Amino acid sequence: MKEFGYERPAHPTDALAMIAGVAGARFLGGGTNLVDLMKLGVETPAVLIDVTALPYDFVTDDADGGLRVGSGTRNSDLAAHLAVRRRYPALAQAVLAGASGQLRNMATVGGNLLQRTRCPYFQDVTKPCNKRVPDSGCPARDGEHHNLAILGGSDLCIATNPSDMAVALAAFDAVVFVEEPAGPRAVPIADFYRLPADEPQRETTLEPGALITAVALPALPWAANSRYRKARERASYSFAIGSVAVALDVADGMVRDVRIALGAVAPIPWRAYRAEQSLRGQPATEVAFREAADAELEWAQPLRDNRYKVPLVRNLMVRTLIELVQAS
Amino acid sequence: MSDIATTHATKGTIGENASRPDGGPKVRGEFAFSGDLWADGMLWGRTLRSPHPAARIIAIDIAAALRIPGVHAVVTAADLPASVNYGLEWRDQPVFATDVVRYVGEPVAAVAADHPEAARQACEAIDVQYEPQVPLLDPAEAAAAPPIHPDGNVFRQLTIRTGDPSARGPIVVEGAYEVGMQDQAFMGPEAGLAIPADDGGIDLIVSTQWLHNDRLQVAECLGLAPEKVRLSLGGVGGAFGAREDVSLQIHACLLAQRTARPIKIVYSREESFLGHVHRHPARIWMRHSAEADGRLVSFEARILLDGGAYRSSSYHVVANATCFSAGPYKVENALAEGIGVRTNNPPCGAMRGFGAVQVCFAHEAQMDKLAEACGVDPVEIRLRNALATGDRLLTGQVIEGTLPVARVIREAAALPLPPSPEIADPMTRPGGAGRTADAAHVRRGIGFAVGFKNLMYAEGYMDGSAARCRLSDGLATVTCAAAEVGQGFVTLAQQIARTVLGVEDVLLAPADTSIGSAGSSSASRQTWMSGGAVEKACQAVRAALLQHVADRHGIDPAQLTITDGRVTSTDARDSIDLAVADAAPGVVFEEEVEYHHRITHPLDDDGQGDAHVSLVCAAHRAVVDVDPDLGLIRVVQVATAQDVGRALNPLQVLGQIEGGIAQGLGLATMEELTLRNGRILNPSFTDYLIPTALDMPEVLATLVEEPEPGAPFGAKGVGEPPTISSTPAIVAALRAATGKALNRVPVRPQDIALGDGE
Repeated sequence: MKEFGYERPAHPTDALAMIAGVAGARFLGGGTNLVDLMKLGVETPAVLIDVTALPYDFVTDDADGGLRVGSGTRNSDLAAHLAVRRRYPALAQAVLAGASGQLRNMATVGGNLLQRTRCPYFQDVTKPCNKRVPDSGCPARDGEHHNLAILGGSDLCIATNPSDMAVALAAFDAVVFVEEPAGPRAVPIADFYRLPADEPQRETTLEPGALITAVALPALPWAANSRYRKARERASYSFAIGSVAVALDVADGMVRDVRIALGAVAPIPWRAYRAEQSLRGQPATEVAFREAADAELEWAQPLRDNRYKVPLVRNLMVRTLIELVQAS
Repeated sequence: MSDIATTHATKGTIGENASRPDGGPKVRGEFAFSGDLWADGMLWGRTLRSPHPAARIIAIDIAAALRIPGVHAVVTAADLPASVNYGLEWRDQPVFATDVVRYVGEPVAAVAADHPEAARQACEAIDVQYEPQVPLLDPAEAAAAPPIHPDGNVFRQLTIRTGDPSARGPIVVEGAYEVGMQDQAFMGPEAGLAIPADDGGIDLIVSTQWLHNDRLQVAECLGLAPEKVRLSLGGVGGAFGAREDVSLQIHACLLAQRTARPIKIVYSREESFLGHVHRHPARIWMRHSAEADGRLVSFEARILLDGGAYRSSSYHVVANATCFSAGPYKVENALAEGIGVRTNNPPCGAMRGFGAVQVCFAHEAQMDKLAEACGVDPVEIRLRNALATGDRLLTGQVIEGTLPVARVIREAAALPLPPSPEIADPMTRPGGAGRTADAAHVRRGIGFAVGFKNLMYAEGYMDGSAARCRLSDGLATVTCAAAEVGQGFVTLAQQIARTVLGVEDVLLAPADTSIGSAGSSSASRQTWMSGGAVEKACQAVRAALLQHVADRHGIDPAQLTITDGRVTSTDARDSIDLAVADAAPGVVFEEEVEYHHRITHPLDDDGQGDAHVSLVCAAHRAVVDVDPDLGLIRVVQVATAQDVGRALNPLQVLGQIEGGIAQGLGLATMEELTLRNGRILNPSFTDYLIPTALDMPEVLATLVEEPEPGAPFGAKGVGEPPTISSTPAIVAALRAATGKALNRVPVRPQDIALGDGE
């Protein structure tokens, strides 16, 4: 690991001044991803500005009936919060499905939003990677890609976003609050992440030096009927090979509203708008659920070794929708 | 047979669940692993490794590295004072690459600095000019390819021919199988501390499986007499074969010699994956023919093992894979061809099961195919072909010891089955902590497998172990260089001493090279070899003690015995009844012995010969739940019966069984080093998956005790069998649940479901 400076400001203004003042400075949350990447030489910050002393460790009710979660909230605290478990159960389930208890005790909400892909080429500094070194190439398309993207990838990058939490946030239309050099901004999660297109090194729409302060979960009473399901290669402590966050509002056997987001299939938490659209107003039946899943996945562009993800997430979606009908 | 004193009054003797002397400290986090080593004034060593699978080295410039503040030495092959090559069995591996590099991770230089960061910077500053070559990566092409090493590309080609291999029964089954590259994945990474001594020698504290072999290789490369290189065992955090080859030993000692300062090296997890050998990936073809009732008529096998860039123990892994390729079954006509080759992939060598694991996956799949073709139950077909004492192996060797194959099959099959998936805890369904599968979609499968292998080294190897016992006023001290790598030898050594001497206080001296070699903690051999040495040393002390008492009382020592911790006479008139502790006040008895097993012989041109000391077998029955829509699996239960000879510590045997099943489950369902262009893509425990506690099934175990003639206390080694047939049992269960062929391990979600498996 390269040597680095370390600061732990207590006030947001100090944190913003520090990051603006030092080239190569980075914010540090729980350190559960950035520090690993520093050990691998993928990240080489000159200074780490630890943001865990900032006043961002909170979960409060918003006036409109939603919830606001501070960016410094530890993942364990988020998952354990009664309001989260009651009103947005898929979010609590998603957070608990990620990592281990020890990591969740350290990891923060802000850090989780910004965690980097597990693509083996991104993590290996001896290999080309367009995300790590723009224009260096991407060996994944013909190489090891069994857990890489089937949706939303580009010729330059097919990395997947590894977050479980962000999949649930995408389903609930969360809003990310940030402080940027130009001032504060509220970024809907749909606008927060970027698809790689021709700039895979840019993963979010944040300005350099941006500080995430909070995440708002808008009021959504029927989100209480939500579920996160995750498939992985062992029983615990591993990243998803496919996951879904689903919320369902059913009345008289008809789908009044639905939210579906997919994980481990795209460079961003993938909101399944096409599936949602095809379901609204339709009967809540397995046939309709299958059609909805197909409507989303017909756009998939699987490669040699990740074709399995198409039936995997299709089956996850259908099963979870059926389960939520039964729970309604 | 051993002379077993029945000292029931002495606690912690043979057969009891004596607790481990290192158990408490390990549970409390107080045990000092080799990574915890520290010396005042020490420097940090670090290794620079090749980024290329094959390249010429044009030049190495260390000037910039030496200029970095805090850097005390930079060494390359040019700095080696004596031998430049090392190797476990054959010295074909450069300590540092000279003209070429042959795998990604091959050491090129090493540095010593006063801070790990300075050492890292120094490695980065070493300018190595490489000219990359086209690597040889496909083991199938290796034998015919231009040699990538002066010793050629074939480590060993072994053909075993017996009877008439062209004989055919009416039922023929055939298959091709593949085993991926598994890692030993021990928890404690390689670590050691080399301390220069005043006499020009070196003291090295290191986590290893075999102190004396390391010493020999260090001494050869440093140009020192072996006695000037003194090794002590550092706390070992698991081994499983991966610590048999030298890793940092020579580098650390060379740097200590150069700098006259203590040198500590500890590998990161990533470096650990590069710094030790792995299990040989295998491609195996087999054809069995049988009578209509399933009795085997002929067996053919072709086994290709990728040994990677250097030989390590490939020569003997080929032998084991080929010798045991038919499994524990009688077959008169056979042709088995094994080959281990050199490639530019990472070196492979010893890992728990040592060649028997790969072929067991294949022969057990074949036995299931045969059962289906004959319409015979899979358990029954194995019983019909089971080897037994008096039968011949493929190598012509007659089984003289115990080998209760039929019994382990029956006992494993008789263990109770788990409850149906409907009533199981949702956490134990496929998908685990994600509670992803629901009971309605779960399909259950049951699979059965049997495996066997040899104990100890083979083919004429003159194996031995040395031990010393000291007894003074009832306190016994046992010295033996056997490496405690987690298997529990330290417990057994105490139990043996208590049993023979009738004392409870048994100290274990540190394992080091102040005594003769104990051989390697591998091949399931330490209980037999070093257990035998400890027993023999304790018996010699016991005899001396009894002689001493007899002399004092003027009687024949043959009349004396140690019973219940007391020296008594068989002749009631002598009225001798002394506690062992009081039998010879102030007298010190000390004896050092060497123990050897019976002689074995090399294999001839047809692979025939009396090559193996002893054999061991086990059977496993696996119950697996599968969610075929999601590709998720859960191993619900593994039931096993294992041939243990005699269980010296049943709790420790169970520990070996559970650990071995975990490793077998790992190979069956998740563990594989992913290689691209010779490079390991997943050198971390986030990306190389090993089973977690939640992946572990319920384990039911029956210990089959048929004492082995010639073995100390009749005990067989127990570490390897649990790893051999657990993998094929689990895969057989997956086949039963999914109907898929599953000819490759590890089986991935995409193999068992989701339409992309075949």
